[in-house]
Amino acid sequence: MPLRFQDDFLKKLEYLHVVSRREFAGQNRADRRTPKRGRGIEFADHRPYTPGDDFRHIDWNTYRRLNRLLLRMFDEEQDLPIYLVLDVSASMAEPSKFDMARRLAAALCYVGLAHLDRLTIITFTKGLAHESSPGRGKGKIFRVFDLLEKMEAGGPTDLRASCKEFAARSRQIGLTVVISDFLDSTGADVGLKILRTLGHDVFAVHVTSRADRDPGAFGDARFVDAETGELRDLEVTPRLADAYMQAWEKHTEELVRFCGRYGIGYVRADAERPFEEIVLKAFRQGRFLA
Amino acid sequence: MTFGGLAAWQAWLLLGAAAAAAAWLFLLKVRPPRVIVPSLLLWRKVLDEAREQTLWERIRRAVSLAVTILIAVALAAAIARPSRQVRAASSASARAPRVLIVLDSSWSMLGRTRSGETRWERAVAEARRVAAGAAGSDIAIATTAEGLVEGPTADLSSIDTALDRLQPAGSTASGWPRLSGAEVHFLTDGAVARALDSAVVLHSVFEAADNVGITAFDVRPALDGTDSDEAYVEIGNFGPAQNVRITMTRGAQSLIDRRADMAAGDALRQVVTLPRGGAADLRVRIDAPKDSLPADDEAFGWIEASRPLLVTVVSSQPSWLAPVFAATPGIRAVTISPAGYRPGDENIVIFDRTVPPTPSAKPALYIAPPAGAWVGSTPDRLEPKPQWTTPAAHPLLAGVDPFTFSIERARIYEPAKFTAIARSAAGTPLVWAGDDPGRARAAILAFGPGDSNLAAAPAFPVLIGNAIDWLARPAAPGARRIGRAAFDASVLRVIGPGNVGLPVIQIPGERVAMLRSPGLYTAEAAASRTTFAVNIADPDVSNLSRSTIATSQATVAVGEGISPRPWWLYLIALAFAAVLVEWWTWLRRITV
Repeated sequence: MPLRFQDDFLKKLEYLHVVSRREFAGQNRADRRTPKRGRGIEFADHRPYTPGDDFRHIDWNTYRRLNRLLLRMFDEEQDLPIYLVLDVSASMAEPSKFDMARRLAAALCYVGLAHLDRLTIITFTKGLAHESSPGRGKGKIFRVFDLLEKMEAGGPTDLRASCKEFAARSRQIGLTVVISDFLDSTGADVGLKILRTLGHDVFAVHVTSRADRDPGAFGDARFVDAETGELRDLEVTPRLADAYMQAWEKHTEELVRFCGRYGIGYVRADAERPFEEIVLKAFRQGRFLA
Repeated sequence: MTFGGLAAWQAWLLLGAAAAAAAWLFLLKVRPPRVIVPSLLLWRKVLDEAREQTLWERIRRAVSLAVTILIAVALAAAIARPSRQVRAASSASARAPRVLIVLDSSWSMLGRTRSGETRWERAVAEARRVAAGAAGSDIAIATTAEGLVEGPTADLSSIDTALDRLQPAGSTASGWPRLSGAEVHFLTDGAVARALDSAVVLHSVFEAADNVGITAFDVRPALDGTDSDEAYVEIGNFGPAQNVRITMTRGAQSLIDRRADMAAGDALRQVVTLPRGGAADLRVRIDAPKDSLPADDEAFGWIEASRPLLVTVVSSQPSWLAPVFAATPGIRAVTISPAGYRPGDENIVIFDRTVPPTPSAKPALYIAPPAGAWVGSTPDRLEPKPQWTTPAAHPLLAGVDPFTFSIERARIYEPAKFTAIARSAAGTPLVWAGDDPGRARAAILAFGPGDSNLAAAPAFPVLIGNAIDWLARPAAPGARRIGRAAFDASVLRVIGPGNVGLPVIQIPGERVAMLRSPGLYTAEAAASRTTFAVNIADPDVSNLSRSTIATSQATVAVGEGISPRPWWLYLIALAFAAVLVEWWTWLRRITV
């Protein structure tokens, strides 16, 4: 399915920017404040002159009033490292769900690229599968589209192993967005906790579909786990269906509670909801985009 | 337990196999549809939790399995047709290779019992049980009226079919049905006394019942010397005292419509004068509250005199015949000259010393016909003073004393397709009878009033009466009884009530038909027809409180209220009900 967006939607995205609750050091100059003091244009503070400092930063007006040599400090504005960690396991293979995940990734990429953020798209299944950095600038969005369109879902999910692998490589800490259905038998919370422990500002985008929430039909059925191929013959009675739906609600509540406890942003993206509504409303309500 | 459709081991094998197959098919799940789900993670959580199950959820599968097996077993059992062991003393003994089941088909078997079924239905149900109990043996079915009607055969379905079509016929066959080496079961109410062999297993369907019936009905010439007729009806009350309504109609005319209080065991007799003229059919009907046998509530009569025979006398000198017809009731004679005769609607033609060029199309008596082509004679062929010899037995000559005839001369004929039934000592035929199938009957008298003392002979009126009966009334008139009836060989067709033709069996010398119900019947011959009434009118039949079965006789009492339906019908119904239960179980399965 092509992931291209309409021009008017792209314009709307350009007015948004990814909100990071913390400041991270970037690599290149951009328009995000960083904890560094440097050559920005935004005055930050003074500090005493020490030999070797650049004379050009001495505040001579202050010297005249206070007779002390003080240097003017400016905020360094750099780019924000954004890691889009996308679940491409078989559980995401349902077309509506996978499309929603990819379109969300594309939209977030565009917002980031529009603000010169440094994007890294990482896919995972039982481990990290593919990592790609499209570059900087809005023009790179087409590379992102191409990349996402070529993606295929398959394989089991292991968010914990994937996050361990993510942590094993030296990276700048930044904003990490995990887009997944979080149907992970090993437990999604451990993986998210690892990312949080690394110092990343973590956002969980919970992509769901109707098939996740509701068994749909009654009667005898042979359920096949899309990831493991495990078979389970079930006789779905209304009572059992109710129990399943309650279990799903409980699973979601636990994920929300976990995210709240560890300061992880949570946004739920139901595949049946309009995509633009999720991006323009849900993400803003979740304080992920502003 | 015995099985009518299969041998016992086959039946049990079938039942076992059906139960096993049903259980196997139940447990052999149909491959369910595959549903690919993102993850079984949550399903595992749900199933691992101890779910609260209702009692129905826990037992539903077991109930469904039991019902499925029940359906299969019921259907298999319906095929095997199980039955209880016959309760006859003989059934406990070694199974006979042949079984003869005889049903009493007297009319009293139509008597209704307290449980609402008739004795006949009860007997048929018992016959089915006896047949089912003798499964594997050769079985034959017979009735007292028709003799052997089915079998011997081991095919129970043939026996069932035969039992379905049998009905009481009310008469007795020529002999007791026999089947060599067979164990005989006789199912009867004992209304009619029969001498039975001691080996016969008697099944009694007798149950005393109240009844009112017409025990006698007939039409006869009035005894008061007038030319009218009278009907005699007798009604018997074989129940408690009750009020009986009696109606008698003649054609559309009502003759009697009255009520009579009859005491228990009372008999009511009534004679009704029937004036000449009017319809010939007479019908009597009774209605009473305590009446178990409808068949004897109606009786029919036929007033022969209301339809007099038309006799045309073709003669130039008929005066000598006039006294004979004047004294015979029921005959209307018309005299016509030979030149003026044309065939009309007469029943009989008497040619007195004349002969048509071809044999008459109507039944005809030729008295001393002149020489002609078809009678095969010449004028000079005569035998003077012939002497009678003892004539052959023939209806024409029944009761005729030939030696009262004094004959001067007899003519010698050689008619084709006629038989000489009386000859002179010299061998000259004196009386010819023509009874060729497809032609009207005819008789030729070889001497006339000018050749003999025919007009004055005492045997002449008898001879004329015989001739009229033989020529125009091929079947004996008057009331007949229900059952097997013999008719004259000339009868071609017997038409019963409702204008329905009856099958007529031809046996040497006569025709036989089965008269199965009361009513008016017509027997048709080539050129004549006779109507006669058939009634039950038998006190033995109407008295349903009496049985000739002695209490000392070893009988198998057939219980009250036994349904005539075989088991397998109930098994089919059970299977259907079980299907409904299973269907309900299935619905509960998906809507709980």
